[in-house]
Amino acid sequence: MIEVKNLTKSLPNGRKLLDGISFKVKKGEFVGILGPSGAGKTLTLRCLNGLLKPDSGSVIIKSENSQPLDICKIDKRELRRVRQKIGVIFQGYHLVKRLSALENVMIGRLGQISTWRSMFYGFTDAEAEEALKALDQVKMSQMAGMQTGSLSGGEMQRVSIARAIFQSPTLLLADEPISNLDPSNAKTIMKMIKPLSELMPVVGVFHQPEMTAKYCTRVIAIKEGKLIYDGDPKLSNKRLEEIYGEELELIEQQEHMIPVTAK
Amino acid sequence: MIILLAVTEATAIVCGATFGKLSDGIFNGLAFLGNMYPPDWSAFPEMLEPALQSIIIAFLGTVFGTIISVVFALLAANNLANPWVRNITRVFIAIERSIPEIIILILLVAAFGLGAMPGVVALSIGCIGMLGKLLADIIEEIDPLMIEAIESVGGNKIQVIIFGVLPQIMPNLISYALFRFEINIRLSVLLGAVGAGGVGYELEYSFGMLQYHRAFTAVIIIIAMVFGTERLSYFLRKKVKTEGALT
Repeated sequence: MIEVKNLTKSLPNGRKLLDGISFKVKKGEFVGILGPSGAGKTLTLRCLNGLLKPDSGSVIIKSENSQPLDICKIDKRELRRVRQKIGVIFQGYHLVKRLSALENVMIGRLGQISTWRSMFYGFTDAEAEEALKALDQVKMSQMAGMQTGSLSGGEMQRVSIARAIFQSPTLLLADEPISNLDPSNAKTIMKMIKPLSELMPVVGVFHQPEMTAKYCTRVIAIKEGKLIYDGDPKLSNKRLEEIYGEELELIEQQEHMIPVTAK
Repeated sequence: MIILLAVTEATAIVCGATFGKLSDGIFNGLAFLGNMYPPDWSAFPEMLEPALQSIIIAFLGTVFGTIISVVFALLAANNLANPWVRNITRVFIAIERSIPEIIILILLVAAFGLGAMPGVVALSIGCIGMLGKLLADIIEEIDPLMIEAIESVGGNKIQVIIFGVLPQIMPNLISYALFRFEINIRLSVLLGAVGAGGVGYELEYSFGMLQYHRAFTAVIIIIAMVFGTERLSYFLRKKVKTEGALT
């Protein structure tokens, strides 16, 4: 489980970027964070694995086999250890384009191998086999040897999901994982992320309420740094208007959710 | 423009670089070259080993110099090193760049004696000023997302460098190293004349013994070395540019 308590972050001029954000996510939950651009969604997500340090508040990770840990209060060494078990899927994929898909997946366990081994790219055959299985899970095993720079956006995102799976994480974070993808690829990616929530808490930032309505178990909404909603992922038109500040409606057509359009 | 012309004329007069002297020099030089011709081809076989030694000095100087320069570049990049380390390293690189390799060699010869080793060390140190700065600038421009990707899985600084930094700078690193090798070939000849051995020493020795035909042979070998290296370097740099690697 991950518990976020009272996260606050301000600019030097005093403007609050995050204002007392608090929520919990446990195993079995797939929580989508919605909100207008600049609301503080990605800032909140980055606080969850220490990529951003808030001015105050805590991010407590509780797992079955260890003591609760507050990410905001641990030192750099401990933070690196904690990050070994936090998988992150980024909007920009964050893949090393000159390396192959397989090598990029194996990078997921860099924090778990010694510096000496990593200096010689010393991944074992067993690790390579596991990485290949992770690629197989996302239907990318046939492209394991290809440089990721030559892959399409959807393929690169699948490799980054495989990297997260390979880490065997206890928490999965996804920062706008489908923003750069067409609707078909976006649906594929969401279908790959959803089952992972059965194994660990999953928290993702999205710009597509129709996707969170279909795949998430819960939605929280952030606006101007404040958490304004935490509940059912199927949002009413009124709720959408409250979040995004203009009248919107979800349109459903057969199996597909077409993008939200303004009236 | 007028000021530039006036300053050029004034400084030429002060240092004696007049057109009259230039034309005299050209005629004297051509006459001297005429005295050197033809080359002494019998000296050609015995000059091959010194030529190879010069190439080896340049090669080793480039390899070791590149490795050292990468370390300095990492310490001089503002996205990797803290400001204090970065500033001190940049100052060191700037100072090193201002010291000619020949001065470094003279100091090393005093320390280690004559021979190839001071030449290799001088060329290695000489790489820092050029490669250290160029690579540091390249590192500062890399995609920060790669660094973030490695940090987000718990990677430490060394792992960030190996997996996040080096793959991104590798084409530039190879390209600059090849260019530096071209420069080091010429420098190894020069350093050879002042104690590092190789074909530069043969050239200096031949002139010293007034064996101008033998000296001409050495000049031909040097020209072939430098030209051959430049062509090879150009071919390999083009390969790196189009394919991103040498293989």
